[in-house]
Amino acid sequence: MQRDLIGIALAFTISLILSSTASAQTKKLSETATAPAPFDPHDLSGVWMLDRPRPSKEVDRYWIYELNLEEPPMTAWGEAQYKATKSSFGTRSYPLAETNDPIFHTCTPPGFPRIFLHPWPMQVVQAPGEVIMLFEYDSIRHQIFTDGRQHDTSLGPLWMGDSIGHWEGDTLVADTVNFNDKTWLDRVGHPHSDKLHVIERIRRINHDHLIDDITIDDPKAYTKPWSAHLDFLLRPKWTLAEQFCEDQDTFQNIENDETKPAK
Amino acid sequence: MRIRALGFALGFAIILSCSSAALAQTKQLSEPLAAPAAFDPHDLSGVWFDDHPRLIRVQERYWAYTYTKEEPSMTPWAQAQFNAAKPSFGPHPYPLAQTTDPLYHTCAPIGFPIAFLYPLPMQIVQSPREVIMLFEWDSLRHQIFTDGRAHDTALGPLWMGDSIGHWEGDTLVADTVNFNDKTWLDRMGHPHSEALHVVERIRRIDHDHLVDDITMEDPKAYTKPWTAQLKFILKPKWTIEEQFCEDEQSFQSIDKDAGAPAK
Repeated sequence: MQRDLIGIALAFTISLILSSTASAQTKKLSETATAPAPFDPHDLSGVWMLDRPRPSKEVDRYWIYELNLEEPPMTAWGEAQYKATKSSFGTRSYPLAETNDPIFHTCTPPGFPRIFLHPWPMQVVQAPGEVIMLFEYDSIRHQIFTDGRQHDTSLGPLWMGDSIGHWEGDTLVADTVNFNDKTWLDRVGHPHSDKLHVIERIRRINHDHLIDDITIDDPKAYTKPWSAHLDFLLRPKWTLAEQFCEDQDTFQNIENDETKPAK
Repeated sequence: MRIRALGFALGFAIILSCSSAALAQTKQLSEPLAAPAAFDPHDLSGVWFDDHPRLIRVQERYWAYTYTKEEPSMTPWAQAQFNAAKPSFGPHPYPLAQTTDPLYHTCAPIGFPIAFLYPLPMQIVQSPREVIMLFEWDSLRHQIFTDGRAHDTALGPLWMGDSIGHWEGDTLVADTVNFNDKTWLDRMGHPHSEALHVVERIRRIDHDHLVDDITMEDPKAYTKPWTAQLKFILKPKWTIEEQFCEDEQSFQSIDKDAGAPAK
């Protein structure tokens, strides 16, 4: 009984403290007060959404068109390719009629890792021997085999590459090669060749957050390997909707959507 | 020791009897001897492939382009649509340049249930709230929510429809509505309207076999429901590969594959 009273008094004090602080701080306090939700670090399943700072006047909108804020270290070939690209989006955006974005007028697959930059959710499903990322956008799959197989060099070259992975502790290390060179690496036109090699270190850091540390290695396009960090937030109530690239109209709708606030 | 010797002798006798029988009979003889592999009827996961004889003339392989040997009972509206359709495949194919197949020149999403009619494997993955069919062809998803939700009429109209399902004993009953009318129902050009309603009764009948009893109801197009049984065989060593519809060439290679013997 006495304990209950103390509890009530404590809760009352906490609620006073909470109500007198800013809402961002409130969130921090209440998070530490509740026990973190349990999770299995080898279970990555669920619907995830890229969790980056939302566009505002102050913050660059790199989060939906580039892997990093910093320019990657391009080779002369990479630089020449990049200069020739006319992205419909980002800081160098061209009008829709002028863009040479390879997915624009023909709806070709966006490729990997560019698919991460299309601002729709991604669902991870797992089966014995594989971890599959299903992307809402264009029904794309990123299928990572974790059954110990080697890369299948008889395949492709592929739009999404050929991915194998293994667990290092709680980190899923995925290795993807065997790409074609028909896609851009991101939505602003950074290039890649068919030598592209992508390593991901994917880790569920807590119940609600997943990180994917991506290393891009492509000696034809970049002078050295470079990395990007992607954060994802679990969206337990979301499901993947149907979002096919059908034609130019799709893109116009999509770009209109992007200027709206997050769901 | 004695038992083992007996087993050995029995094995030898079986080998003798098998070698003197036709290949088809061998299969029948050896099957009842082996205990059927255990399976959970609520676990549909795995890579499945259509289970029909393949080494016969293309004109007789109706299952490669439609659902039944018999023509469905069309309304005058549907008959007119069907007469106007110029498929590139099936019993009366038109040259590629002349086909009116809606997905041919534009690589529009193929739709449902026509996705079942392409001769490429399908993988089922499951999570507690859903059963997902992943089609190799064009990376399509048929996502069936089994968590008790109702149809989401706010969506679409959709290319793949909106699917919910529930278990009736060992049968997964999936109900799909909310289609657009931009796709054909099959590869012969049988039409459907936005009123299309597809009910599937999906059952794993043994370790290696899955059946999907499908009912297609569309009062605008058909005077009565069109029913068919789709049969699938488990392919434990297969994986679904990347097979994007990129352009006309994709179709040519797929149609060529359809004439080739099974993998």
